[in-house]
Amino acid sequence: AAVLRSLGSLLCLWALRFPAGPAAAARGPDVASYRERVRAMFYHAYEHYLESAFPYDELRPLTCDGQDTWGSFSLTLIDALDTLLILGNVSEFQRVVNVLQEGVDFDIDVNASVFETNIRVVGGLLSAHLLSKKAGIEVEVGWPCSGPLLRMAEEAARKLLPAFQTPTGMPYGTVNLLHGVNPGETPVTCTAGIGTFIVEFATLSHLTGDPVFEDVARKALKALWKNRSDIGLVGNHIDVITAKWVAQDAGIGAGVDSYFEYLVKGAILLQDKELMSMFLEYNKAIKNYTKFDDWYLWVQMYKGTVSMPVFQSLEAYWPGLQSLIGDVDNAMRTFLNYYTVWKQFGGLPEFYNIPQGYTVDKREGYPLRPELIESAMYLYRATRDPTLLELGRDAVESIEKISKVDCGFATIKDLRDHRLDNRMESFFLAETIKYLYLLFDPDNFIHNDGSDFDVVITPYGECVLNAGGYIFNTEAHPIDPAALHCCRKRKEEQWEVEDLMQEFYSLKKTKKFTFKRAFDHGEGESPKDPEGASSEKAGEKRNSKKNSHSLLSCPSQSFNSKLAVLGQVFLDNT
Amino acid sequence: CSRAKDVTMPAKLPVSFFPPRSAVVDLFRGQLDYADQLRQGSDIVLYFFYAPWCGQSIAAREEIELVASRLSDQVLFVAVNCWWNQGKCRKQKHFFYFPVIHLYHQSFGPIEYKGPMSAVYIEKFVRRVMTPLLYISSRSKLLDFLSNYEPGVLGYFEFNASPQPPGYLTFFTSALHALKKDYLGTIRFGVITDRRVAEEISLEHSGSVYLHRHANTSLMYPKDIMNYTAENICKWALENREMLIRWLRPHGGKSLLLNNELKKGPALLIFIPYNPLAEIHPLLDEITKVALEYHKCNKSQAAEPDLQHLGDTDSPAFDSSVTDAHLKLSETFSITKYPCCNTVVLPQWHSISRTHNVCELCVNQTLGVKPDKVHVPHCNFLEIEAALDSFYLQEHTFFQVISNTIECSNFLSFYSPFSYYTACCRTVNRHFLSFISSEKTIFQTPKVAFSSHGKKDNTQFSIPHIEDRNCFIPDLNISNINITGLSCRTNKTLNLYLLDSNLFWIYAERLGASRSTHLKEFAAIVDMKEEVHYVLDQNQSLVGPTLENFIKNFSVLYSPLKRHLVDDSSVHFQEQRVITEVTTNTFQEAVFLSEKNVLLLYYAQWCGFCASLNHIFIQLARLLPPDNFTVARIDVTRNDLPWEFMTDHLPTILFFPHQRKEQSVKFPEDFPVNLPNLLKFILHHSSFSSSEPCTKECRHKESVLQQGHISHLEREIQKLRSEIHALHQAHDQLEAQLSEARREEQRLQQQKHTLEKQHKTLQLHSEQLQATYDQKNQELLEMAEKLQELADASENLLKENALLRILVASREGKLQSKDEIKEPLQSEQTPSEGNNASPSTAIATLEEKRIDNSDTIETEHSSGNRTE
Repeated sequence: AAVLRSLGSLLCLWALRFPAGPAAAARGPDVASYRERVRAMFYHAYEHYLESAFPYDELRPLTCDGQDTWGSFSLTLIDALDTLLILGNVSEFQRVVNVLQEGVDFDIDVNASVFETNIRVVGGLLSAHLLSKKAGIEVEVGWPCSGPLLRMAEEAARKLLPAFQTPTGMPYGTVNLLHGVNPGETPVTCTAGIGTFIVEFATLSHLTGDPVFEDVARKALKALWKNRSDIGLVGNHIDVITAKWVAQDAGIGAGVDSYFEYLVKGAILLQDKELMSMFLEYNKAIKNYTKFDDWYLWVQMYKGTVSMPVFQSLEAYWPGLQSLIGDVDNAMRTFLNYYTVWKQFGGLPEFYNIPQGYTVDKREGYPLRPELIESAMYLYRATRDPTLLELGRDAVESIEKISKVDCGFATIKDLRDHRLDNRMESFFLAETIKYLYLLFDPDNFIHNDGSDFDVVITPYGECVLNAGGYIFNTEAHPIDPAALHCCRKRKEEQWEVEDLMQEFYSLKKTKKFTFKRAFDHGEGESPKDPEGASSEKAGEKRNSKKNSHSLLSCPSQSFNSKLAVLGQVFLDNT
Repeated sequence: CSRAKDVTMPAKLPVSFFPPRSAVVDLFRGQLDYADQLRQGSDIVLYFFYAPWCGQSIAAREEIELVASRLSDQVLFVAVNCWWNQGKCRKQKHFFYFPVIHLYHQSFGPIEYKGPMSAVYIEKFVRRVMTPLLYISSRSKLLDFLSNYEPGVLGYFEFNASPQPPGYLTFFTSALHALKKDYLGTIRFGVITDRRVAEEISLEHSGSVYLHRHANTSLMYPKDIMNYTAENICKWALENREMLIRWLRPHGGKSLLLNNELKKGPALLIFIPYNPLAEIHPLLDEITKVALEYHKCNKSQAAEPDLQHLGDTDSPAFDSSVTDAHLKLSETFSITKYPCCNTVVLPQWHSISRTHNVCELCVNQTLGVKPDKVHVPHCNFLEIEAALDSFYLQEHTFFQVISNTIECSNFLSFYSPFSYYTACCRTVNRHFLSFISSEKTIFQTPKVAFSSHGKKDNTQFSIPHIEDRNCFIPDLNISNINITGLSCRTNKTLNLYLLDSNLFWIYAERLGASRSTHLKEFAAIVDMKEEVHYVLDQNQSLVGPTLENFIKNFSVLYSPLKRHLVDDSSVHFQEQRVITEVTTNTFQEAVFLSEKNVLLLYYAQWCGFCASLNHIFIQLARLLPPDNFTVARIDVTRNDLPWEFMTDHLPTILFFPHQRKEQSVKFPEDFPVNLPNLLKFILHHSSFSSSEPCTKECRHKESVLQQGHISHLEREIQKLRSEIHALHQAHDQLEAQLSEARREEQRLQQQKHTLEKQHKTLQLHSEQLQATYDQKNQELLEMAEKLQELADASENLLKENALLRILVASREGKLQSKDEIKEPLQSEQTPSEGNNASPSTAIATLEEKRIDNSDTIETEHSSGNRTE
């Protein structure tokens, strides 16, 4: 009977194969072919930049020439450097590193944005420095604690330091690279322009050993924290002299975005509970006051009343950030909202009026921003949902169909009619293309889950590097968190570790007690710890006693997350 | 330059979207007016509104073309670019997404298609729109129609009177209307024209409408209460239809479909490959049969026996699939005629053990003395119970069996000495079901037969440690093996759902369906509230009986179903890796059976806090002596674990000390995760049996330990060496840089010197020049003075001259007056004339001189400039 049955099912299978195979929708986009299309897009833009625009900052794709926009440091080239390596082009990476070392000069009389210079130039150089060994460059002995690119990054960062000399510690928005802050400079800076330094500056401090960078970045973050409103929100522009909020719209988008991003990424990079607790407080307020139906609106920072019911293209980074701290369900729900806007226009308008379901006057442009694709990449890591690949597919098709011109890819000036503008921002090559490629390349070294790593011998001892967990700065420049433990900090731990290793091999009876005390604080406070390090820990423990679990952790995914793919969302039971 | 900043470019002009020879009319300039014109000439029209940049439109294009190539003779396919802002379509329609498919049946429409963008589904829908009503001309067709699991609405209209009987058009429109509301087309509409056929379902009057239901009584459309309109009929049908088994077709956008369905209670999700165009669906029929049985609560129902009766009488003309199902059902009954056997899972070694000793306990009937046993009931409950009892008494003998081959032994029954029982045992890991399936012709059916007797038995038997025993006690009432009406008898009622595995296999994979299988059939019970799911073993083919068993096993009080743990099959167990990657399947082996202390990290790739610790764990794994310690990790998003090993936060670090694996300890959450802390934690909790007096073994251990220590130190030395080497290199580099700097300094010093010298000479030079300048200046001044003198002198001369002239004139005057007197004085006049000429020539030469002088002044000036 069993034979008969299986024969029967065989027969019906046969019948089922006719006339058409499984639906195309089920297969999802062909990842490999889209990956190659993204690669071709990169080279189309990159080669035209080199040909027509270098050494200017940016390419103007409609007129096939270049212009300086944020300074005069061949910005697109610096920004695109690590994308080259992610695409696997080692030789071009090496060539560009040489070009930059010879050609870029920061001793220029240029007024530069402190924020943009930090994220694009300092961030780009730092990541290129940390990746240079992987790119086959003959690094000097002290690498990753020294190197030409690191010195360049440090030089650029030092040019920004004068901006931080304000009574509040919050930096000016603009600084002259040669003369420091201009006498008549406006003291009004956006929130993100104050709170988007910790990733680059802490990395610089850890690598070079000079704490000044991390110190100013932390001071600025704390100043913002101190000036939040009673209901726990921050506005989007503040006077850095008087600490008065000039623009009091609170939200997660333009003017604020990367502040929140850097609280989380700083917390991860530095294993810093303080930064994380700040973020979690903000997160609570954001959920309470700005979240409606998985959209995030703009509210008045003191009253919490809705001021603008819009979605901004810049806000689309939020789901990606949520997935980093384990809030995947909410991230996916918000992402699906944002995706509908993409489907309506073939891009994300700078502002989208949610109740009206249409663009906002004068904010119809789409400068090929990466944020939604960035979120798709993070979420795809977490869920492997084919919907996210579909967004990637849509992005490739849209950008190629709409904005590709003979000389590169042009910004979309108006999403309603797809009129093009004569700009190609450097983040197109640095971020948009990078995230798209990474979405379609699940085996890229950037996605390394820790199965591969490099061991490097430095004068400070042995380091494990490139073990994954790269933190992207807000311009998509990856920073290896392991590198931060490689230089000065490594040395402090090393002898302690060596002593502990001796314990493993000794007869264990004598010194065991000290460890017991270090770990058994629950029963009673030990009066004095023999090691300085552990008394520090005891203090930390007292602070965080109220939290049942560490701030630096993600919740495990719920049972229904198994089925939360292909657009299905689940309501919390909690 | 500033002009270039304002350069913009209008969007490119639209080009054709479909290939030139396509069966689809491509209005890529959005000519909606022309599209409307086209519609006039065709009964059935499909509009495909697209945006050329839209990925979904591009993906759907192929599917539409496929459908068009098959239906182009009956249906007009029009694609309209509804994006181009100059086009009519964009100006008139406002879509939030693309593509949008609209269908028109003559003037009726638009009917929007919202189903999957797959050719077969679209074609099916188009065909439904083409013929919204099925014509039921005979009894067999009626039966066919009624036996379908999807709700059916029937109208009876006599066509003999007028060309169209009253109400027919409304009924027809209601069928189209239903397609608008119910885009999956689950409600089928049929029309009966034969009076005799209509009588089968007691429709007597032309114009009456009937909704067929399987589990509940069928309904007649209440014409007297509701107006007879298309909308009302459609609404009535949608409201009153029964959904014994439902297709789930998530549309891909954000939706709460699964959330809403699964929150209703436990759900059985059945994944089958489905082709909507296929004429017959044998597997689907079989499944719906089970569903019908499951929901058939009220036996005395009116409609049901009627149908049953029809089925029996009409069988030759009947669609083969139904009889097929009947046939299969009877086959399963025959299975029970095999000796009655029972699967017994012995208690596990460990609470979390993944291995079991599984025994097949069979009553050996040939040795039995009761002659009437061949007949129903096939398996005597008491017999099996007795056999189990006897077996339990000897169960210890089966505990030790750890073998992959089946070992059998016969033993005498405890109660009835005449019967023999056979027990075949082996140790299996969690795939133990596959063992059963290989033997399933024998074991399958009795295994699941069960009733509430289990409760009573619990107290009766005093062997409580065999946990699963209740499940294996067969029901006395064997005839109750079918699941008829089970949904009403159990308090764990299942909702049944179907999913097309061609479209939604990803859900099956998420629930643990094997990726390698080419046969995409899968069934799982998901209980959202309890957060568990069970799967039907994939080695068993998905057919009616296995499904029934699955449902029954779920419904019983002490369900034998085991919570399914999804395992990441892509990970391969590799010893040589620095960090051991653990999965659900290897958990037991890697953690509990390992002879080492195990540090286990729970992580997820997406969690930022986990990934940034990678390097610390790699360092730790490289440091710890590999003979005694394992550093392992498990990705908990891809690997489920038994409840007691679940964790609610990531990263979580557990330490399982050797020999005390059950006493695992958790790394305190408020301590920073770094190398020294981890080492302290491990040191504190690892077991060292140092208190015992030192035996030979201990000394051996010690020496091994010391050996390890030595090798560790050697490694350390190696590391230090390379560190020293690096330091030397750095030192050399520094030295080189220093000497470079020194050389540079020297060079600079030298340069400074030469520069200073140069400076000095330059200064000297400039002084000299200054001196010459002064000198020249002096000379010039002198010259000027001289000139002045000359000028003065000449002026004096001029004055003198003038005086002289006056004098001469006065003299001449005098002389003339004298001449008049004295003529002889005239001779004196000539020498005075000569005198008069000489000063004038002197003046001329003076003039010339002055010009010369000014020339020299000019040249001196220019030379002076040059020296400056």
